[in-house]
Amino acid sequence: MDNKHKFDLQYFLTDASFKNWAKGLNKNDITYWNNWIQSHPEYLETVENAKSIVTGINFNQNYPSSDKVNNALSEILPKLDIDSSTNKKTKKSRSLNSVIFTSAAAVLLVLISYTSFAYFTNQSTTIHKTNFGEIIDLKLPDGTSVVLNGNSEISYENDNPRLLHLKGEAYFKVKPIPSTNAKFWVVTNDLKVEVLGTQFHVNTRKQKTNVVLDEGSIHLEFKNGEVTKMIPGEMVSFSNDSEKLVHKKVDIKTPYALWRGGTYAFNEIPLEDVMLNLESTYGLEVEYSSDSLKQIPISGGIPNQNLKICIAAIEKATGTRIINKGNILRVQENPIY
Amino acid sequence: MAVEHVKFMELHSDETIWYFFKKGEANGFSLLFKKYYPQLHVYGLKLSNNQEITEDCLQNFFIQLFEDREKENSIKNLKAYLFVSFKRRLIKQLQKNQKNLPISEAQLFKTNFTFSAEEISIHQEIQFLCTSTLANLINNLSPRQKEVLYLKYYSGMNSSDIAEVMDMNYQSVLNVLQKALSKLRKASENQQIKNILKKS
Repeated sequence: MDNKHKFDLQYFLTDASFKNWAKGLNKNDITYWNNWIQSHPEYLETVENAKSIVTGINFNQNYPSSDKVNNALSEILPKLDIDSSTNKKTKKSRSLNSVIFTSAAAVLLVLISYTSFAYFTNQSTTIHKTNFGEIIDLKLPDGTSVVLNGNSEISYENDNPRLLHLKGEAYFKVKPIPSTNAKFWVVTNDLKVEVLGTQFHVNTRKQKTNVVLDEGSIHLEFKNGEVTKMIPGEMVSFSNDSEKLVHKKVDIKTPYALWRGGTYAFNEIPLEDVMLNLESTYGLEVEYSSDSLKQIPISGGIPNQNLKICIAAIEKATGTRIINKGNILRVQENPIY
Repeated sequence: MAVEHVKFMELHSDETIWYFFKKGEANGFSLLFKKYYPQLHVYGLKLSNNQEITEDCLQNFFIQLFEDREKENSIKNLKAYLFVSFKRRLIKQLQKNQKNLPISEAQLFKTNFTFSAEEISIHQEIQFLCTSTLANLINNLSPRQKEVLYLKYYSGMNSSDIAEVMDMNYQSVLNVLQKALSKLRKASENQQIKNILKKS
């Protein structure tokens, strides 16, 4: 392993997915790091030290009460030289006062917008949002499971948790409610998915929506009112902008829904398509030193929760060098090959 | 689960607070005071074991911070800056009080950062210890180790802030943390082994 020296304390401590593992937080991260440790026993001690630093010590903080703080504040305020008294300074202080007034008004405004925002999220709408490279498992109030990929967001009204809005990419396993036949909807910019009880995958990236159906049956409703039915193993893609509708059979074993296990699985997929997945999951741009590189086929699994590991795996699978500069990945020929 | 608190964070971010503080009006002062008085108060108590000196010093510290607000143009990290400058002031005061009996910083801090069992709770990593044992173990660490643990897990500072407050480099902060925590972990493991031996 050529990057042996990289697995030091700092490496683990700056990795969000590692922190999740140490705190026992995310099922995918736990599985990933348990496997990682099994295949890298030589780092066990560093891993344990890093874990201790993450979990640390739980102090019961005992800060002074807000009464005490307010008392201290009212004692100190008169001692500050806030008001000016001389005549000459009055003019200056007036203009200063107007500045104070505007800034006070600005604080108030932001406060108000925050309160309404908090009301909005806490009382009526629930939002789940992931960062780049973060995958979360969710259980909705009605029992539906959602796996939300990185850089994605779902939201729903609390009194109607079976009507979801999605930005980004997610996998759904909808719990049927046979007694009432209650339906389940996923709404994207391009279309609405209507579900009875099934497993499917929705991706709204690249200015279009892709829906892949694993099991059961769903209806898609488009903005123009048109409705189409999907059968398992089918992928539909639609964009409002181009109004182009594509039906395609997909092999469920190939890429589409497989990121949810924490690994992208590829079967003879050109590098360019593989990198598109990275672009949307981590918010990156990819450049190629020559066009021929784009066509190198990749087969196999690529772990997708840690960009560094992911890049290393792709480099190895394609025999290229990938340089990560800021938010741009540059793919080059590897001089060694 | 990252529910959005973004707007809240922005309003109460240190940049915002410092911006309003520098304007020299009461609102800005109160914003900063309310956020940092509690944290500095506990830090001061842990450093000095003396409530009266801590509170006097803290009041003077805030007054001077306000008076000097125009001088401090580029504060990159407000929290670390406040902790460092308050600590300096407090040490000076404590040394002044010990005038007749000159005392070094190391001696002064030998007994500080003492924790009681009530101030600590147990989590899984150290589950085989009881809180009083754990408090004892922490209290017997070196003053530097205790202060780093305090800043990290009580005050919630990140390691680079701690480096600034303790005047150490980043890597040394990690080393201190690692040494202190592996001591606690090993004690927990030994206790676990003892428990197993007792049972058989």
